[in-house]
Amino acid sequence: MAQDKTPDILLEGLTVGYGKTAVVSDIDVTMPGGKISVILGGSGCGKSTLLKHILMLQPPLAGRIMIGSHDLALLDRRGKHCLRQRMGVLFQDGALLGSLTLGDNVALPLREHTRLDEKTIRKRVLAKLALVGLDEFSDYYPNELSGGMRKRAGLARGMVMDPPLLFCDEPTSGLDPVTAAELDQLLLELKKSFEMTMVVVSHDLDSMRAIADHVVVLGDGKVLYNGDREGLEATKDEYLRRFLDRQAAERTSPRLTMPALDFKAMKRDCSKYLGEG
Amino acid sequence: MIHGRRPQLSPVAQLGAASLRLVGDSGAMFLFLLEASARIFSSFGQFAKIVRQLYFIGVKSVSVITLIGLFTGMVIGLQMHYALAKFGAEGFLGAAVALSLVRELGPVLTAIMITGRAGSSMTAEIGVMRISEQVDALRVMDINPVGYLVSPKLAASILCFPILTAFFDLVGMAGGYLTGVLLLGGNHGVYFYRIQAYMKMSDVTGGFIKSLVFGVVVCTVCCFMGFYTHLRRDAVGPEAVSQATTAGVVTSCVLILLSDYVLTSLLF
Repeated sequence: MAQDKTPDILLEGLTVGYGKTAVVSDIDVTMPGGKISVILGGSGCGKSTLLKHILMLQPPLAGRIMIGSHDLALLDRRGKHCLRQRMGVLFQDGALLGSLTLGDNVALPLREHTRLDEKTIRKRVLAKLALVGLDEFSDYYPNELSGGMRKRAGLARGMVMDPPLLFCDEPTSGLDPVTAAELDQLLLELKKSFEMTMVVVSHDLDSMRAIADHVVVLGDGKVLYNGDREGLEATKDEYLRRFLDRQAAERTSPRLTMPALDFKAMKRDCSKYLGEG
Repeated sequence: MIHGRRPQLSPVAQLGAASLRLVGDSGAMFLFLLEASARIFSSFGQFAKIVRQLYFIGVKSVSVITLIGLFTGMVIGLQMHYALAKFGAEGFLGAAVALSLVRELGPVLTAIMITGRAGSSMTAEIGVMRISEQVDALRVMDINPVGYLVSPKLAASILCFPILTAFFDLVGMAGGYLTGVLLLGGNHGVYFYRIQAYMKMSDVTGGFIKSLVFGVVVCTVCCFMGFYTHLRRDAVGPEAVSQATTAGVVTSCVLILLSDYVLTSLLF
């Protein structure tokens, strides 16, 4: 297989879904090599579903996915094995194996796929953990770490094989703004240092603005926008504007139609204990 | 058993659909077993994982097996003593206890105990890994999840079940001795003589084969339920793990008893 250092990812006439149910149809998108592409969209629009198809976890319902010069549908079993070893993935909650320490989690791909001796593996693992600021935590178990630390450890594991492709599924979800900004900064540094093709699935607009070179917006079962960040920010499309400006849709009927619950309906009269009238 | 939500059907159609699902799931489980078996020796790293599972399934089950074996033997000794006494055949207590344990109760009760202890744990562990995307993480790291998670458990089960069954049998015979001889005044020498005289190699071999089959069944069913937790139609998330664990234990117990009948007919 030819070595594509910064492969493009091409989605052509792609329809993704589960079973016979399509979630997003007719996706024609090129995610440029060496850049960060952010897949945006509302909850349940199919962002993670699309990512799972690119990662070969699900077969597409129609269309094709090309990574570099390789059509995923035409790759044989060995080709798919080789391609997977060149992908790094950060799952939403890190997806670290709970029975292994951080060090063992990060070392796992090296132990399974390389002939490196333990000493070299240990050095590489500590280097990758240092990259994400966790080199002192290599002997900790995932349940002993915070959510942000687990995500960073997941990123270290995704990076340990120095892959040309990095995929992140909602990397900043559940993080406070400072930690989220630090993670965005880390992704930018990784792109600069390692010249990787990155795909980030997110609904975090601040994150998108900080890191995206290319943006794909999904909604209503289709691609609503495919282009650069500046073009998205300048869009006049109503839905996209509401999405970017965080505006709720106008309602013709009121959402709240019932009065507040009367405390007299409660089984326990708390007013005696809380001094409420 | 493990399918997505489906529309309402008539009772006959539901019966047909359930039958098709049963056949489909049985086939899927068999293929799952084949894949897990084929990957037992897929890499040198498997040896360390198998040893860890031997400790978890085997060593950590010894105390519960000892307890259950002892009380099972004691109860059989007690019941058999009074039953045999009606025929003036108390002297055959040793043979009755030993043959009951070695041919039947040892393999079956050992398997059921390990199902409850280790089998449920296998289902829950793999189920939680599935819903927290750890199984997907293994796949994208190009590590076969069946080979990584299931094969070591299968190998360890194949090794542990017969050993634990033999241990159960021995402890059970000691329990029978405790009640039949020490408590009820049976003859010590006659107790062990009858065991030696009436126990044949075919009894031991039959019990051994049963324990092997039960080990494969329990591991396959419990790991399969955990592996496909995300496809359950009766629940999602943590509740699906709980349902899968229950289903794994119940299905394993049913299959243990079903296969016990089949094996008993064939072997004895």
